[in-house]
Amino acid sequence: MPFRTFLGFVLPSVVAMLMLIALPLAGVVYLSLWNSYTKTSFVETTVRTPVGTRVERRPVAELDAAGNPVIVREWYGSRNFETVLGASNLAEAWERDRSVSATGQPTSAWQRFTALFRDVTNVKFWGALEFTLLYTAVTTPIILALGFLIAMGVNSVVRELKGVLIFASLLPFIVTPVVGSLSIKWLFLDNAIITVWLEQLGFGKIYFMQNAFTTRLLIILVGIWKATPFVFIVLYAGLQTVPSETREAAIIDGANRWQTIRHVIIPHLMPLFVFVTLIHLMDAYRVFEPILVFSGGQGADSLQHLTYKILSDEQNFHKASAAALLMVLGIVVLLVPLIIKTYKDQRRAFA
Amino acid sequence: MSQPSDTPNLADRMPLWLMLLTGIGLALWVLAAAFPFFWMTLISFRLPVDAFSVPPKLIAPFTTEHYWQLWVGDRFWLKFLNSTIITVGVLVISLTIGCLAAYALARYGGALGFWLLLVALIFRALPHVTLLPSYKFAFFELGLWNRYETLIVILVAINQPFTIWMLRSFFMNIPKELDEAAQVDGCSRIQAFVKVILPVMWPGIITTGLFSFLLAYNDFLISSQMMNADKMTMTSALSAYMNADDDAFKLMQGVAGAVSITAPLVVLVLFFQKQLVSGLTQGAVKG
Repeated sequence: MPFRTFLGFVLPSVVAMLMLIALPLAGVVYLSLWNSYTKTSFVETTVRTPVGTRVERRPVAELDAAGNPVIVREWYGSRNFETVLGASNLAEAWERDRSVSATGQPTSAWQRFTALFRDVTNVKFWGALEFTLLYTAVTTPIILALGFLIAMGVNSVVRELKGVLIFASLLPFIVTPVVGSLSIKWLFLDNAIITVWLEQLGFGKIYFMQNAFTTRLLIILVGIWKATPFVFIVLYAGLQTVPSETREAAIIDGANRWQTIRHVIIPHLMPLFVFVTLIHLMDAYRVFEPILVFSGGQGADSLQHLTYKILSDEQNFHKASAAALLMVLGIVVLLVPLIIKTYKDQRRAFA
Repeated sequence: MSQPSDTPNLADRMPLWLMLLTGIGLALWVLAAAFPFFWMTLISFRLPVDAFSVPPKLIAPFTTEHYWQLWVGDRFWLKFLNSTIITVGVLVISLTIGCLAAYALARYGGALGFWLLLVALIFRALPHVTLLPSYKFAFFELGLWNRYETLIVILVAINQPFTIWMLRSFFMNIPKELDEAAQVDGCSRIQAFVKVILPVMWPGIITTGLFSFLLAYNDFLISSQMMNADKMTMTSALSAYMNADDDAFKLMQGVAGAVSITAPLVVLVLFFQKQLVSGLTQGAVKG
């Protein structure tokens, strides 16, 4: 295909991506370096109350000639980033003396470390990072194992059942994430079915939404529930491509079931394991809806949710931009292996 | 993809205990995957006192009150309309410009095509919230906030990297000889594309379209920030009912809303299960 034709074909798509991905990305960098506020001045008014009069100073937005509020923009440099990272809190936390506990006993190194960790994660950004990483670290191995087991199981049942199993599995995966999270939350409310069952089974009344540990547990549960089907479907498709000669050869050589799985099937599926892991790492890093639904950021937060909160609650574009850019840093780290792999693959295809 | 039927299947030689274990495990999985939907649907037709009763009831008086309150009282039909406009708009534009770009990327061998794909991959990995401060700021300043066109264009752009990667992998499977034959017969590039290539691309377009639909329909993050009040989509409108745990009736309307949002998706899986599975495995199995 000649170059000019190529350009014509890709133009609409490229323009869309330039205007609405590349440009906004540059815009976020710009916004993060500034601050803006509505210019206000104090107006003194005399307020008459039953016990006398007092003078009150109230802030009032200054208006320009056209009657619009005057917005002041101010160069902030790295200050938005420092606010998000909690630079001053960190410095304070680092220098705090923890050699003696509250009761006057000398503390061990481990206690000092956990106290420092607690102080650091009390800063919202680091708390969000901590839970994002915890969520990723816990869900990844579980969905890989569970997805593989389900794929092996479905592969061994009669064909009539496969359709039903795949249908049921697709539901958590494609359902609107907010709805998926809510549907699970509604099972764990104080008077909801699972809470009541657990109580009847003798586990006692558990108030799932009231404490950080159970909230975190539920968020991770939702993550597993939603991501396992993807692993299962991809690995199941991969299982259909295991060459039957290799498997037969292994059986003839006297390999038992476990050895066949260990030495034939898993190595064959290895590239797929790598693929689903990479995709899940990216998805887990931007976990958002379960946090929104279960904790709203209390007790468990994620980087994407934190940025969203700064934007929707504080309405602070500048601070939100700084948080968003800090989040991109992490994505760069995650992306490096994927980009290298794609670079090699596509180089070959294009050469 | 499918293995010949004469190969020894692992199931043939499974010992009884393993068969039992597999059966129990799979039954548990199906239960875990589907139960939240089943229960949510069941309680959406109940009064709050029956929906969250101790002990839980399997059978309770039937009511459609919450649906009535939601769709008519809270004007959820308007949100349904908004969702329809947004998803149809995104689907049509996204696939049109995506097909053009993906076709060119599948047929052009130059370095620019390679770099375009690489950049698209990076864009695809960006968390959506990264771009949101800019969108909110810019469209507010431009006076274009809270408009269908704005949200559609944003979702189309965000969706492009994924769309062109996926469509391209389908175009790659169509032999180049087909274009060449059409051109020899006197077609121009664009004629060859429209008359010869597109007709054999339908499976790929449907599969990609399904995922574009899901992205637009399921989006909460951007829709909830870019649209307001009567312009909200169904998904973002749910936020009003999300933290209503103290108000039982409000909560139940949220349940009815969640079921309403899920229903089209269940129909979608019923009809397009095969395409969804093929889409999921497209990038993976072929490398």
